[in-house]
Amino acid sequence: MIRRVLPPLAPALIALLVFVAFPMLWVVRTSFNELEAGAYIVDALTLDNYTRFLGDSWYLINTLWFSIRIALIATAISVVCAYPVALYIARTAGLQRNILLALIMAPLLIGLVTLVYGWIVIFRGGGLLNSLMIALHVYDQPVRYMWDIKGVVILLVYIGAPYVVLSLLDSIERISPFLVEAARNVGASRWTAFWKIVFPLTMPGLYAGIVIVFALNFSAFAVPLMIGDSNTQMIGLVVYREALLNNDLPFASALSVIMVAVNAMILMGMAVFFGRLILNRLEVKR
Amino acid sequence: MSDDAIQVSGVVKRYGATTAVDNVSFNVAQGEFVSLLGPSGCGKTTTLRMIAGFVEPTAGALRVNDRDVTHLPPEKRELGFVFQNYALWPHMTVAENVGFGLKLRRKSRTFIREKIAESLSVTGLSGYEDRLPRQLSGGQQQRVALARALALEPQVLLMDEPLSNLDRALRVTMRRELKELQARMKMTTLYVTHDQEEALSLSNRVVIMNKGRVEQVAAPYELYENPATSFVADFVGITNFLEGSAVGVDGGSMGVRLRSGQVLRAVAKTAVTPGAEVRALIRPERVTLTTKPVDGENVLSGQVILSEYFGAVLRYSVRLDGGEILRAEVHNFDNFVETGAKVWICVLPEHLRIIPQEGQG
Repeated sequence: MIRRVLPPLAPALIALLVFVAFPMLWVVRTSFNELEAGAYIVDALTLDNYTRFLGDSWYLINTLWFSIRIALIATAISVVCAYPVALYIARTAGLQRNILLALIMAPLLIGLVTLVYGWIVIFRGGGLLNSLMIALHVYDQPVRYMWDIKGVVILLVYIGAPYVVLSLLDSIERISPFLVEAARNVGASRWTAFWKIVFPLTMPGLYAGIVIVFALNFSAFAVPLMIGDSNTQMIGLVVYREALLNNDLPFASALSVIMVAVNAMILMGMAVFFGRLILNRLEVKR
Repeated sequence: MSDDAIQVSGVVKRYGATTAVDNVSFNVAQGEFVSLLGPSGCGKTTTLRMIAGFVEPTAGALRVNDRDVTHLPPEKRELGFVFQNYALWPHMTVAENVGFGLKLRRKSRTFIREKIAESLSVTGLSGYEDRLPRQLSGGQQQRVALARALALEPQVLLMDEPLSNLDRALRVTMRRELKELQARMKMTTLYVTHDQEEALSLSNRVVIMNKGRVEQVAAPYELYENPATSFVADFVGITNFLEGSAVGVDGGSMGVRLRSGQVLRAVAKTAVTPGAEVRALIRPERVTLTTKPVDGENVLSGQVILSEYFGAVLRYSVRLDGGEILRAEVHNFDNFVETGAKVWICVLPEHLRIIPQEGQG
């Protein structure tokens, strides 16, 4: 088996090894080094970089917990926004469906920086949204959306929601309409049939979407960098600041390791939670 | 008040320019087993789905147990429904599937448990309560689907080709079980199928549909022996059609003059004006076939162009002297007749039906 599969996979495996595994190992190694006099990296085997972060409640609250919280909030809002859209698209066909899918996927095709600047035009102090709201007398003073955590969440949702829509769409379309009819037939209203039949059966798609979007949100870097204010201590951004602004590669490496580890733990937790909830019933166990 | 459990009157369903169901009317009496039989695309499933409330009729009225259900949502109709692909909820166990409707009706926990056990024992699935649908075979899934419908004790059961996804041997077994079950529970059943064997063997009456219309509503025996149209004759069983024109033959009997000029006598059952274009209908198993010349009434001669041996039965295709091909089925009492042999075929007038040609009546 391995002998047959290995040759065609070899180029990909070598690329993975060179461009992913080695740099990761290098990061892990660097995280145990020391920074001498704030400038020189000295080979060492110390846990100082880890204790500096994990032993400091300011970092734990303002960076780690903050990142988890923002990622969870943005993921939750993405799901709430994406679900009805996915349900709607699942019911369309032909040209209408292609147009909707293109619109959903468009943000994924545009470069992130272009996307963010587009949003800044709309959301900044004198931007389109504020001008419109003031013209409509909804409020008189411009509201701050950008350069604030609000803006970060809005953009994370904007970037994350299409992934949730696409993964939900797949799950929704696998559900035979007969299952809903069978539920209606035994006395379920439209609403009950949705909650008891459709919703549980979309869990695989919902789970996939949540996993992708949470992982992206938790380690988000570009969006907090461009939109966030000085209080936006998202962990990905902190890694960037430590590595490239403060030149503290060992500390940045330790932060990266912590970021990946926490992300993995949360995703495993989700796997267990969703598995217990429903996925174990839906997937064939060997 | 009426005795009918289901009344379908003048029901029409149009999808854009196409008419799927065209002015269909029939009734199903209390406790009766009626089949909707027809080729695929004849509107039988659409008709059933309209009764269940999954499809809104364009026109017409539907009554179930003397209640107008035409515009009622499916959950208010209190009908059992068994789907062709079973439509079991994959995330629920067998017990949860069967008990779902009872739970929605807020029955007590013990009542639900008893009812689940009862329905599963009726369908022979006791002990499978905690299995998930994907852990069951097709036949077992179909039993769960049936148990799910039975658990709510519906007065009317609708079934949409419930056996068509099973292999042949299982289908025959399930068919017998279904018949026994229906007879025992005396449940009004409307059954959709494209399998004439199923329809004939299960039903009290059969509704034959074609191109969205009802062709004939009759008991299986009537359907086979006295088809109202050539579609019915052709769809139910194998039939020979001989074309010709009607001629009056003395008194109560009728005749058909074949293209060869020969006149065959039949017992009149439908009014046909003499001279009209008609088809004489002969079932292959109703003829006698000999290799010895026979004289007399209703004898056709011809040559065997194909003879097939099936053990218990022998099947022949005979080219008549008039040019028509006639199929004959003979039980294996006589000697096998080889291809090419000259044969004489005899049909009794009571086994010969005359029906008007399509489009003329």
